[in-house]
Amino acid sequence: MKKFTRLSMLLALSVALNVIETSLPLLNGYIPGLRLGLANIVTLFIIYQFSFKDALYIGILRVFLVGILRTGIFSTTFFFSLTGVLLSIISMYFAKKYLKLSIIGVSVIGSIAHSTGQVLASILILQMSSMIYYLPWLLLFSIPTGILVGLICKQLVKFYERNLLVENF
Amino acid sequence: MNKNDIKLIIIILIIIIILFLIYFLNTNKANMAYVYYENDLILTIDLSNDEIYEVNGENGIVKIEVLNNQIRVIEENSPRHLCSKQGFISNSGQSIICLPNKIIIELPNTEIDTEVS
Repeated sequence: MKKFTRLSMLLALSVALNVIETSLPLLNGYIPGLRLGLANIVTLFIIYQFSFKDALYIGILRVFLVGILRTGIFSTTFFFSLTGVLLSIISMYFAKKYLKLSIIGVSVIGSIAHSTGQVLASILILQMSSMIYYLPWLLLFSIPTGILVGLICKQLVKFYERNLLVENF
Repeated sequence: MNKNDIKLIIIILIIIIILFLIYFLNTNKANMAYVYYENDLILTIDLSNDEIYEVNGENGIVKIEVLNNQIRVIEENSPRHLCSKQGFISNSGQSIICLPNKIIIELPNTEIDTEVS
């Protein structure tokens, strides 16, 4: 029960972060699809503190909720997000499991996978192979945003574990 | 951050540099532009004539300007005006996408096109 409450709060938080970051366009929108990836903080946190399955559920639910709230469900952007989120969660899980990376490295992997997923989705859905020209730019910016998300998440996990111990005593 | 993280970032940077190199070696100036609305080709533009075109998008008229073999969107109705902020494009393979208006301007890769036809 406690877990459900925590996960639903995290879901609400990830939706809020997603809404906040869409109102903060980076570089004035010169590169379409470029975002900080703040919602990824929540996904990464769930992978570390809960499980891969929970992260997948929360990620998919988040895409649906953001779709209903903002972009419109089953719109083109909805499918971009869905592909990006799924690819990033799956690759972060495998990166955490098989590569000896810290949380920052895992976050960078997630960020890269998200960009790649979105570009792939746009190529498939819009039938535009020219979208691939944005890939190197998106990847280049994925590294700093991935590191940022990783650093925030590292502090969050530390804070959470400390407070959890206090709570259990 | 540990050693593996740094290795990972270096590997990604190398991949990015390779991708950039591939693109810069492959770019050439486009001489045509295709305008699509909902995946249907609605206008073919010759980039050698400086002119202003108007097409109907989802949210009204989209104004497209051609100047010195470059093309850009100068006026459109969308929440964040991403496609008019994008500015001029001129290399084949580049594109301007205006999702709210369902308008896509694509500069085709002429070399590949001639090979196919």
